[in-house]
Amino acid sequence: MTRTRGWLTSAIMLIVAAAMAVPFYYILVNTFKSQDETARSPLALPIHATLAHYAQVLATTNVVGSFLNTLYVTVFSVALMVLVGSMAAYGMILGRTKLTAAVGGLLAVAFLVPGQATLIPIYQMLVDARLVDSLNGLVVIYSCGSIFCYYLILGYMRTVPAEVLEAARIDGAGAGRIFFAIVLPLIRPILITVSVFQTMWVWNDFIIPNVFISTPEKQTLVLLAYSAVGQFTTDWPTFMTLTVILLVPVVIFFLFMQRYIVDGLTQGSVKG
Amino acid sequence: MALSLSRSAAIPRTAPLGVPRDRRRVTAQGAPWLFLAPIMAIFVVLYAIPLGQSLWFSFTDANGYTTDMHWIGLANYAAAFKDPEMVSALWFTLAYAAITTVAITCLAIPLAVVLNTRFPGRDVVRSVFFFPAVPSIAVLGMVWGFILNPLGSGVLNSALHAVVGIGPVPWLSDPHLAQISVIVVAVWAQTGWHAILYLAYLQSIPSDYYDAATIDGAGRVRMFRSITLPLLTPAITVSQLLLMTGGLKVYDLPFTLTHGGPGFATRTVTQSLIEQGVAQADIGKASALAVLFLLLVGAIILGQMTVSRRLEARYT
Repeated sequence: MTRTRGWLTSAIMLIVAAAMAVPFYYILVNTFKSQDETARSPLALPIHATLAHYAQVLATTNVVGSFLNTLYVTVFSVALMVLVGSMAAYGMILGRTKLTAAVGGLLAVAFLVPGQATLIPIYQMLVDARLVDSLNGLVVIYSCGSIFCYYLILGYMRTVPAEVLEAARIDGAGAGRIFFAIVLPLIRPILITVSVFQTMWVWNDFIIPNVFISTPEKQTLVLLAYSAVGQFTTDWPTFMTLTVILLVPVVIFFLFMQRYIVDGLTQGSVKG
Repeated sequence: MALSLSRSAAIPRTAPLGVPRDRRRVTAQGAPWLFLAPIMAIFVVLYAIPLGQSLWFSFTDANGYTTDMHWIGLANYAAAFKDPEMVSALWFTLAYAAITTVAITCLAIPLAVVLNTRFPGRDVVRSVFFFPAVPSIAVLGMVWGFILNPLGSGVLNSALHAVVGIGPVPWLSDPHLAQISVIVVAVWAQTGWHAILYLAYLQSIPSDYYDAATIDGAGRVRMFRSITLPLLTPAITVSQLLLMTGGLKVYDLPFTLTHGGPGFATRTVTQSLIEQGVAQADIGKASALAVLFLLLVGAIILGQMTVSRRLEARYT
C-alpha cells in the first residue's frame, strides 16, 4: 500500500516538476537548432545539432568581458563584506559594553531599512565621488551586505567557547591575532555559507548595475543579457544562447554548493 | 571564493608567550572599537547619512541640476499622492506583495509535506523545484518575456495556436493579464525555495509525535492540523516576512518582464523611485516616495511580527 502510494506520488511529482522545468528545457534545446527547426518543432530534440548560435554570441557580444566584470565585483564585494561582518561580530562578543549595545541597536535598525530608502542620496554621493559607472562603485554599494553577514556570523560566533579565546589571550596573543588565527578558522562553516549566499546575491543582482552602470564595457552579465533583449528582439536564438551561457556558471555553482545553499537557507532564517 | 577567504585566514599558527601584562589590558579594552569601526563606517556612510538626506530632500525642491534648494514643507508628499504613476505603483506593489505571499505560502507548505515523504526520484524533484531560485530573477523575467510575448510569434502563443487553435493572447499587453503574468512567474520562481525552507523545519519534527497520534487514531488531515501546522509557525513567520519584504521591494521581475507596463499597470514603487529620482532627477518628490515607502515597509513588518509572535505564543 505505502509502496504504491510512493510510486503514485513519484509519477505526479515528476510530471509537475517537468512542467516547471519546461522553460529551461525550451531555451536549452533551441540553442542547438536552426531558426527553421525551432519554428517547426520547438520542443523536439535537435535533428541537425549546431553550435552556430554559440559562435555568434561569442563573436558579437562582450560575454567574456562581462563575465570578468561580474567576477571582479563579486569577489571583492563578498570578500569585503564577509571580512567586515565577521570583524563586527567578533567585536560584539569581545565584551558587553554600552558601545556594543548601541552598535547592536543601530545595526538592527539598518538591517530593516530597504535599500530603496537610501538609493537616491547614495546615487548623488557616488556621483560626487566619481564612482558612478565604475565597478569599484558597485563594490562600495554592495558593502551594505556586511550587516547581513554580521547577523548570520554573530549567531555562530557565540558558539565559539570563551575558554578558547581566553587561553589564547593568556598565551599573549593580541586581539587581531586571535581573530585571524583562531576565530576565523573556527567559524569556517558559517563563512562558507554566508559567502555562498552573498555570491548569489551579487552575481545575480540587476537593480544596482542597472542604476549605476552605463558603459557597455563595464556591464555585468545580467546587464549584458538585459541590453541583449533590446538588441535581439527578432533574433531569439541568440538571446536564448546568451541566457544559456549565463546559466552555466550559476548551474556549476549550484551543483557544488547546493548543500551550503540549503544550510544557509535554514541558518539565515533561524537567526535572521 | 568562499574557500580562499577562510584558507588565507588560517595562516598564522603559534602564539608567542610572555607578552607584558598591560598590553593584554590594552587590547581587551581597545579591540571592540577597532573591530566595530569598519561596519560603523559603512553604517554612517551608506545608511545614516543617506537616510537623513532622503528625509531632508523630501521637504525641499531638490533636483539634480542646481545645488540651491528650498524648504517646501509637505508639497512633495501631496504631489506624490496626486501622481498617477506613483499611486498605481503603490497599489500594484502592495497587491503583488500580498498575493505572492499568500499564494506561495499556500503552495509551498503542501509541497514541503509531499517532498518530506518517501518516493522514488524525490531528490531530483526537490532540486528541480528549488532550481529557479538559483539564476538571476531578472534573467528569468527576460526569458518569460520571450515565452509570453503577446505577438502571434510568442512561444506560448504559437504553441496555443498549434495545439488549441486560438489566436494570440495579449499576455503582457493587456493590463490585467500582464499583472497576472507577473504574479504567476513570481510564484513559479519562488515556491520551491520556500518549500525547501519549510522542509528543513518539517525534518526537525520528531516522528514520535506522528506515531503517538496514529495510536490515538488521528487521521492524516487531523495530524496536519494538530501537529504539522502548529510546529511550522516559526517557519511560516520567517517565510512570510521574507516574502512580504521581498514583495514590497520588488523591481527586477516586473521590470524585465513588462517594463512596468502596459501604461503603469505593473509599475512598482522601486521603479518609480528610480525613474523619478535618478533618471528625471525629481529628487524631492522621489525622496518623499522613499520616506513613505520606508514607513510603509516598517509598519507592515512590525504588524506582521506582532501577529506572528502572538500565533507562535499560542501554538508553541
